[in-house]
Amino acid sequence: MNSTVFRHVVRQHRLRLLIVAAALTGWGTLMPLIYSAIGEQLATIIQQFPAFQELAHFGGGDLFSLPGTISLGFIHPIAIALLAVFAIALPLSGVAGERQRGTLEIVLARPVSRQSYFVTLLVATILFIGLAVAATLIGTVIACGAVNVLDQLNLANLPVLWLNGVLLYFAIAAIAFAASVSFDRMGPAAGVVLSIVLVAYFLQIIGSLWPDAEWLQPYSLFHYLQPDLVLGEGLRVFDSVLLLVVGSLAVAYALIVFPRRDLAAPT
Amino acid sequence: MACSLVPDMAVIEAQGLTKHFGGGRFPPRRRHETVRALHELTVTVDEGEIFGFLGPNGAGKTTTIRLLLGLLHPTSGHARVLGHDIVGDSLAIRAATGYLPGGIALYDTLTGEQMLDYLGSLYGRPTSLRADVADRLEMSARTLKRPVRDYSRGMRQKIGIIQALQHDPELAILDEPTEGLDPLMQRAFYDLLDERRKAGRTVFFSSHVLSEVERLCDRVAIIRAGEMVALSNVPELLAHRKRHVEMRLVGEPPVLDGVAGVSNVIARPGFLSCELEGDVRPFLAAIHGAAIADLTIEPARLEEAFLEYYADEDAAERAASAQLAEAAR
Repeated sequence: MNSTVFRHVVRQHRLRLLIVAAALTGWGTLMPLIYSAIGEQLATIIQQFPAFQELAHFGGGDLFSLPGTISLGFIHPIAIALLAVFAIALPLSGVAGERQRGTLEIVLARPVSRQSYFVTLLVATILFIGLAVAATLIGTVIACGAVNVLDQLNLANLPVLWLNGVLLYFAIAAIAFAASVSFDRMGPAAGVVLSIVLVAYFLQIIGSLWPDAEWLQPYSLFHYLQPDLVLGEGLRVFDSVLLLVVGSLAVAYALIVFPRRDLAAPT
Repeated sequence: MACSLVPDMAVIEAQGLTKHFGGGRFPPRRRHETVRALHELTVTVDEGEIFGFLGPNGAGKTTTIRLLLGLLHPTSGHARVLGHDIVGDSLAIRAATGYLPGGIALYDTLTGEQMLDYLGSLYGRPTSLRADVADRLEMSARTLKRPVRDYSRGMRQKIGIIQALQHDPELAILDEPTEGLDPLMQRAFYDLLDERRKAGRTVFFSSHVLSEVERLCDRVAIIRAGEMVALSNVPELLAHRKRHVEMRLVGEPPVLDGVAGVSNVIARPGFLSCELEGDVRPFLAAIHGAAIADLTIEPARLEEAFLEYYADEDAAERAASAQLAEAAR
């Protein structure tokens, strides 16, 4: 961990962090407001058409309960895209991007080891993810208070939900880092990590909408963040440990490969 | 070519340093042909000297520099910089080295001053030379407050030079340092390097600008296609190069056949030209008594020395190809 590099990374991304955090706070606010406005009416309508009930559980979330609505907010592409700014874009630009631009070599030509540089980026990424997930939950709590549904929310389990959310995006970020250290250019690294994330997302969504494809969901990382269940039951140990293991393996790979790579002159 | 000079105190010692690219299996990537970027480089750079590393683009200069800094891992051979092994102790090397990469990339969102602060702070030692170097390169405090994205190519290169020298490194490794500098700034930069030498610091720089190597360097290595083809003191290299001689005479030219060091003689009444190599005394003895009206001996330029190496290599390659073709027939 290098404090100078850390300060530089934070300074480079602080405006981005503010914008993403504000957007996620707004997004987190939106979910309880929608639930409060149309949740019960939607539930009544859907109950009249049982054939559509499965389709109403998009990605494991729904609009019929507050936890379900919060789940929907987490699996929604907008939330994922916003969190991907730190879980995907930062790891890709931090190694492969800097490598491609040529700025990585002027940093690594100084007494900064590659391990130290990598760990610093990883810590900064986890910090940004943690703040972004927290911003989402803060928005949710504020909105719940505003529309008087706070009693439907188990506040004691919110920190657990935060942890589970951070672990999901840590695992994605770690995969992005593993891709980033493996390539000299951002394009191929982005291709690999976006393919993995899109396939995982597709598996989770198709499994939630189509009962015959439900068996695919465990193969998706997104399956291991189920906010409605976490808010109801508390920590889901298996889910959290699995995300931690996936992330740790990807980090271990990056820590092995990055110091051993040749950093030839950028083309 | 096996040539190395034994120093009193070596700052860089490379022994059989070799780097091949490609052919790797991990991490997974497209397989391609192995490229021999550097082959069996053996060279020593002494403390307090300016060492020029000369060669055309793609010759292996940047590969050598990156190996010395630990950015690349050698395929074989070993090297020590400032007494530290390039594989096992590259952090210590980088702590005492200033590095200017070729075509330096900077963080465009930072100002010049922020850029220098950031890069300087990574060394953990004071940037005691920044003000002086910036002043010499005419980078005012006002200019340094501007974002790097507004800088011209020359200004970026100046930032590159400042960041490489601002912390007064024991060794400066500079890759094509005068690229983008105007002639005035090049002169200021040459003066800076002269002062580094006087302060006992070592400078290792690569270039394909022959005139600046000739002007600055104590010694020069010439590299071609990954192999060092010459390593010599600059005056020695020049002394062994051919000088072009032209003379105008009153009457018949002197007979130079068989005179040591003389070649390519073209003689006609009233005129003689030839190439002269090495010791001039046999030549002077041979023309003694000739009725010379005018005599011109063009001093050997490093550029010519450099081109001669290449011409020799090309001739050797052509001869080898011809022999192969003949054998095939």
